[in-house]
Amino acid sequence: MIGIGVQTQNVINDNYPEEGFVMLKRAGFTCADFSLNRYLLNSSLYRSERNDFFDKSVQELEHFFAPHKQGARAVGITINQMHMPYPVFVPGADREINAYLWNQVAPKSMAVCAFFDCPYMVIHGFKLARYLGSEELEWQETKKFIDSVAPFAKETGITICIENLYDSVGGHLVEGPCCNAKKAADRIDYFNDKYGAEVLGFCFDVGHANIVGIDFEKFITTLGSRIKVLHIHDNDGVSDLHQLPFTFTKTRENISSTDWDGFIRGLGCIHFDKVLSFETAPVLTAFPEAMRQDALGFIANIGSYLAGEIQSRL
Amino acid sequence: MNILCASSGLVWPKSPQKGISGIREGGFEDILLDMSACCSAEELEHLGKEREPSRGVLNPKPKAAMRISEHPEELCSCLKLLLEECGKEAVRITAARAPYLSRNTKREDLGELLMRLAEESIRVCGRAGCRYLIVKPLISGIEPGGEWEANRKYYLGLAHAARRNNVMILLENQCRDKNGNPVRGICSDADEAVSWIDRLNEESGHESFGFCMDVGVCSLCGQDMREFALMLGHRIKAVILRDCDGIHENAMLPFTSIDRGQFRTDWLSLIRGLRETGFDGSIIMDFSSMTAAFSQFLRPQLIQFARGVAEFFKWQISMKNVLKKYDKRVLFGAGNMCRNYMKCYGGEFPPLFTCDNNKARWGEWFEGLEVKPPEALKELAPDCAIFICNVYYREIEQQLRKMGLVNPIEYFNDEYMPSYYWDRLEYWEA
Repeated sequence: MIGIGVQTQNVINDNYPEEGFVMLKRAGFTCADFSLNRYLLNSSLYRSERNDFFDKSVQELEHFFAPHKQGARAVGITINQMHMPYPVFVPGADREINAYLWNQVAPKSMAVCAFFDCPYMVIHGFKLARYLGSEELEWQETKKFIDSVAPFAKETGITICIENLYDSVGGHLVEGPCCNAKKAADRIDYFNDKYGAEVLGFCFDVGHANIVGIDFEKFITTLGSRIKVLHIHDNDGVSDLHQLPFTFTKTRENISSTDWDGFIRGLGCIHFDKVLSFETAPVLTAFPEAMRQDALGFIANIGSYLAGEIQSRL
Repeated sequence: MNILCASSGLVWPKSPQKGISGIREGGFEDILLDMSACCSAEELEHLGKEREPSRGVLNPKPKAAMRISEHPEELCSCLKLLLEECGKEAVRITAARAPYLSRNTKREDLGELLMRLAEESIRVCGRAGCRYLIVKPLISGIEPGGEWEANRKYYLGLAHAARRNNVMILLENQCRDKNGNPVRGICSDADEAVSWIDRLNEESGHESFGFCMDVGVCSLCGQDMREFALMLGHRIKAVILRDCDGIHENAMLPFTSIDRGQFRTDWLSLIRGLRETGFDGSIIMDFSSMTAAFSQFLRPQLIQFARGVAEFFKWQISMKNVLKKYDKRVLFGAGNMCRNYMKCYGGEFPPLFTCDNNKARWGEWFEGLEVKPPEALKELAPDCAIFICNVYYREIEQQLRKMGLVNPIEYFNDEYMPSYYWDRLEYWEA
């Protein structure tokens, strides 16, 4: 049975988290992607700034998130995936910040993931190819990072998921880490062999793939069962807009310019049976607050449609 | 490495004189002949559909022109004047492109015609002494998943004629049109392209197939061009250099699609990749969008500028090949450029020493090299190359020649290095 999920960002309020989970349930979602990344924003990190959220001890973090966990459980929402704050390495930043990200933020994020009994933690690979000179050297740095959290992942049954990302060249978004499906598959297999457990998997980000013209079907079928989680969202092929699927058209025929058919075929082909998770938090700020419940409902309906289409191709 | 100018937008088969002489005067000696000038994608798209001929004010009843799509055997005669003009102007046709369908074609019935046109194109190449022919893969009328089989048959069907005419067929990376969105198409996955080329060569029993890397397509598909080039390696025989904004199809000169002072095509990755593979094939300058937009009065300057840009790429791409050429080398300059040389190439191509005009530096050790006065260069064996690591290339070269040095002098440059080092020197001034 395919689940339908969405980011908790812009839905869950830390002061009364259960309300947000009730909204999700009412909208038709069964799962949620817990947006841990919103507690330490990438925009701040790129300015070499950080807040003190992850200064908390693991026990303090668990205490902080206990109402969230209870709220989700109370309404029957499963936290199926979580997003670690990113980046976990800021090129050119103070050593202190990078050490903090690596030694405090990452392990504590993993602990929070375990606390939620969440099976998948999405991370961003390091964006260093331009500095280091090659994608392979870039991967070696990401690999070191994964090695630092993999033992805990194995111990707690969490699968860390690498995600296809983009980079920017003069404002033009081009492929970044983990955009080569074949290499990603080999690397995932290497880690899982090394640890004797499924410590590494893949998060297929549809929007990012669309920006860099990736053939969805080929990419998905190359990775196959290594795809554990999804970030479903749409864009114009130019910017990372995180909008509703089927939103963008570019021709007079007004047919979606994003290859949703390829996405469905690919997932059908690999017998994907996990969660169709939407990374569409910006939709909820774009619509008036009074329409938030309706917007969530519509997203969930899209999820149901996609699930039906995928299942029909199994 | 040779430099070609794409004929698109500059040369017309019926009146090629001005176009060919303009290219020659602009400094190009080689061209890519685009045969779609005789049989355009639009003509192919409308084949068999009678259209009302366009009626100009001065020519209300135009004569129906012969269509190559209906008479592929006439392709060669259509290009007769152009070939003659190239001969007169001593312009070589080093590469050509066979007619092709547009990427959003609706035609699924033209496989045989495309085969015929490709065969005729091979004949033209044979006659013109053209080594490379770009033949785009079949993209329509193919069942999903049947791309390789259909194209295998298509390309192998051309192999014999190609061999007989001493032509190498170049496959090219393609974009696919997804309702207006460019996505990666056939051969845009480097692994796939490698597999296709190797299998075709193996099955044809001869190296009849190579690859042409279209930078514009890579950019539209947001690809990592270093990885792409490295994967294809020696199979890349030609590179089409063209710029676009990464969103819309265009053929502009490199470095002209910019946004707030930054280029939008990843030239760094391209140069890194081609340099690392030791690329020594053809650079094809395609700036047809610019020739279409510029006034024809500015074309001569535009073509000259294109030639200059191509020379820059040749210099950057061949940097490592030039280093490899010499068994012994010294550097001139003891600043950032010297340091970057040592960081990136010092291990593989160690210099004997470096020298500098600044007396205060003489005797100093910098990045593991002794800094010597220029006079020390007089002691070098004549085959030892001097790599100038300072932007005052011409002035320094002149200085060295005035000293009577006969050694090879090369210009090293650190603008596009294999990696970046963030800790720049601060204390030293040129």
